[in-house]
Amino acid sequence: MTPPIPRDIPLPLPAPEGFLEILLIVSFLIHILFVHLMVGGSLFSLVCQIRGLKSPDYEKLAYRIMQTVTVNKSLAVVMGVAPLLVINTLYAPQFYASSALIGDMWMAVIPLVTVAFLLAYAHKFWWNHFINIPELHIGIAALETGLFLFIPLIFMTNVNLMLFPEYWPQVKGFFSAMLLPNVLQRYLHFISATILFSSLFFVWWSGRKSFQNEVGFSRLRVISVRRFFYAFAFGATVFQILTGLVVFASLPPQGMSWGFTLLLMLGGLLVLPAMWWMWQNLTHPGHLLDDRLKEITACFVCAAIIMGIARHDYRENALADHKSAIAEKTANYQAAVKDAREQAQLTAKTQESQTLVPGESAFNLNCAACHHPTLTTVGPALQEIKEIYANNPAGITAWTKAPGKKRPDTMKMPGFSQLSDDELTAISQYLLSH
Amino acid sequence: MDFPIFHIDFIGNRMLIAVDAILHVIINHALAVGALPIIVLLELIGIRSKDLRWDNLAYRLLKIIFIITTTVGALTGVGIWFSASLINPAAIGSLIRVFFWGWFTEWIVFVTEVSLIMAYFLSWQSASKSPEAKLKHLRLGIFLAAFSWITMAIIVAILGFMMDPGNWMTKRTLLSGLFNPMYFPQLGLRTTLAMVMGSMTMICLTYLFTRHDLAFRAMVLRTISTWSSAWLAGLIIASIWYYQVIPQHMLANIPVAFATQEYASWNGRLKLILIVGLLYVSRVLWLSVKHPGQVHGAKYLVSVLLLFAMLGQFERVREFIRKPFIIGQYMYANGIRVEDYPLLQRDGILQHATYASIREITADNQVSAGREVFEQACTRCHTVNGVNSIRGQLKNMYGEKPWQSEAIAAYVENMHGARYFMPPFPGNKAELDALSVYLSSLQKRAAAFNGAQTNGIPKPDKISASTFYGTLPNLANTHGDLQ
Repeated sequence: MTPPIPRDIPLPLPAPEGFLEILLIVSFLIHILFVHLMVGGSLFSLVCQIRGLKSPDYEKLAYRIMQTVTVNKSLAVVMGVAPLLVINTLYAPQFYASSALIGDMWMAVIPLVTVAFLLAYAHKFWWNHFINIPELHIGIAALETGLFLFIPLIFMTNVNLMLFPEYWPQVKGFFSAMLLPNVLQRYLHFISATILFSSLFFVWWSGRKSFQNEVGFSRLRVISVRRFFYAFAFGATVFQILTGLVVFASLPPQGMSWGFTLLLMLGGLLVLPAMWWMWQNLTHPGHLLDDRLKEITACFVCAAIIMGIARHDYRENALADHKSAIAEKTANYQAAVKDAREQAQLTAKTQESQTLVPGESAFNLNCAACHHPTLTTVGPALQEIKEIYANNPAGITAWTKAPGKKRPDTMKMPGFSQLSDDELTAISQYLLSH
Repeated sequence: MDFPIFHIDFIGNRMLIAVDAILHVIINHALAVGALPIIVLLELIGIRSKDLRWDNLAYRLLKIIFIITTTVGALTGVGIWFSASLINPAAIGSLIRVFFWGWFTEWIVFVTEVSLIMAYFLSWQSASKSPEAKLKHLRLGIFLAAFSWITMAIIVAILGFMMDPGNWMTKRTLLSGLFNPMYFPQLGLRTTLAMVMGSMTMICLTYLFTRHDLAFRAMVLRTISTWSSAWLAGLIIASIWYYQVIPQHMLANIPVAFATQEYASWNGRLKLILIVGLLYVSRVLWLSVKHPGQVHGAKYLVSVLLLFAMLGQFERVREFIRKPFIIGQYMYANGIRVEDYPLLQRDGILQHATYASIREITADNQVSAGREVFEQACTRCHTVNGVNSIRGQLKNMYGEKPWQSEAIAAYVENMHGARYFMPPFPGNKAELDALSVYLSSLQKRAAAFNGAQTNGIPKPDKISASTFYGTLPNLANTHGDLQ
């Protein structure tokens, strides 16, 4: 389908485009890292709490995990402001269009995140109040996690929709945009990244020296907890690769290029050594004492950066034609605007040279809205006014300065104290003589 | 014009932004800017007097501040971005291009503020281990209070341009906002109002939290009330200062801002309520300093509500005095640039609106074409049936008399003269007539008015799918037509 071509905002970008693009990639990666830790933290806290029903150690773990969510969720929000600002700047015609098309759900992000955060606080701050009612406590945690899992889907739907202007005319509301052919697989890919990055984070977190004291676990218990997180990280990586392949296969061709494909392959290759080390850690528990976490993390961070660049590359490819069409249309429109303005100025000059009756322009500007020559509109018709004030222009002037209210069925006239006596006299004379 | 039109017909687009923004500014002023200094003060007294009750109270108050500011407070802030970009993308998009670095700086300060409040709150208990740690912690609180104030000071600079549109047109820089004559009076007013609001809110919470220790309650209330009284004196001076520098033409709009025109006579009474409000708060604070144990909690609560109402009113007036523009002299409230008017009034707005589905007006399609003109030109502020509804406006004007389309057309054509808060009608004569026919049809029945979030956008036609402009040659001089 043909994409609609809007015009861009006719003001210069606040910085060179390339610089803004780098800013977008960097700030977006930081934002997404904290989103992963927030969503993943909430999810792991829920999982551990359910496990905690049988083995109480996991309940303690769940509480500690929620403490990280408190911090990470605030950082996720503040870190999101910068990429939002840049995307508003760089992609105004696309981003505002896709946001409007899913407008009610897009706006719902705000109350949904607020409720999710409040639930997270209830979950954490009232931990001990819920000791005897674990069902309610787990219910709150599940609702909070459910919201945390759903909100990224709204974002995913929007950033996907903005990439494909040719889909816009067929979209009717959020759900139809969500069901566009490549959104759900991208979402699953995102969720597996959430589990991957948050479990790696918790591997590091539970490996800190102070962790053992904080939770009061034995050395062996700590090792089993770390193994638990490694298992999730490994599984998520496998899932990440599979969903990644599906996403790649189902991406609309608009944004495809060899550069993009090579970047994805490079990112994918970096994951392989990390998987090998994680597998070693899982199969030989002794490895957990020296688990090469730094190397594993470095691999995944590099892969994430490359994927972030690839993602941006795809977006630029997909929108290249649309952007250049928009630039053309904006330039043409500006020329048309200039043309019309000059034409209007010429007409105004000609009109000026034809001598206007004094009072006419002031009448049109201040009075004509409510006083029609023959019809009673908001105020009485001119015909009627003429009858009342025949030969009494001063009466009109006095009334206009401080109007009263004569007619029960109409609005009270506002006072025109900003007009000078001369203007008012001119208006009243014009009114009576025409 | 260039964006699909998001519209909510019940609460209205303006109201959506207003509710979100006022909630945000109340939380920001009362709980961040105004309350954090009190927490630091209480912590300091706790350290000096070695009385643990002060420290415990400060921590409980901070917990409330932390919970509210990091949830509703932060999210309503982001919500201003979300709602503005849905409701007037042309305006917010233009502002972002100009004030990008201002907002970027504000974001950095905001990140610092959020990091500091987390550090301050989450390290409270571990800081009690040693006196050195406690002093360090107190310093953290001072930084936090300072940064919340700086966030506000930057945002006021960005808002400042609205009060001085002339500068924006020529310079388009943040500095022109910062150094415009409204900046310091506005900052002074906001700072002092925030301090009074913040301390009053903390007084209310303290009243609640100290109900089992009345002697301690009297001590704390006297301290906070004294602090608050000092700022109240500043607030009175700042309000007078602020009123003195508002340019005359802006003041002329204020009576209409307080209430719609038919309620203009309320203005005097409303002003009275504001003055009475300040007097009431002064009296409560006076009593609270003299006999802190004897003032009933309800009086504190009423004071807080009065202060919130004053801030809300202040924001309403500030927003209103920029009308009919959304960006002074540059863009009207309907999202259309002043510069574009000659073109649109010549060719018609529907010819240039990317997402319109009707381009030519005929005798048969007048009502539906009029509906599209309404959508493009009026819906940023008016609904059909909801808040600030056009049906209500017409009913006020014409009552039960027939709503004649000729009379409506005569009105709309010139209304910007009589109603100086309204932008001029942006379309051509045929569109004015179509709009008037549509509006007069609303007297009997109005079909549900949905925005692009429900209806989607029309299939691109030769206007929305091409890059050409009317009869003009393609100035970009390339193969522009994508079809």
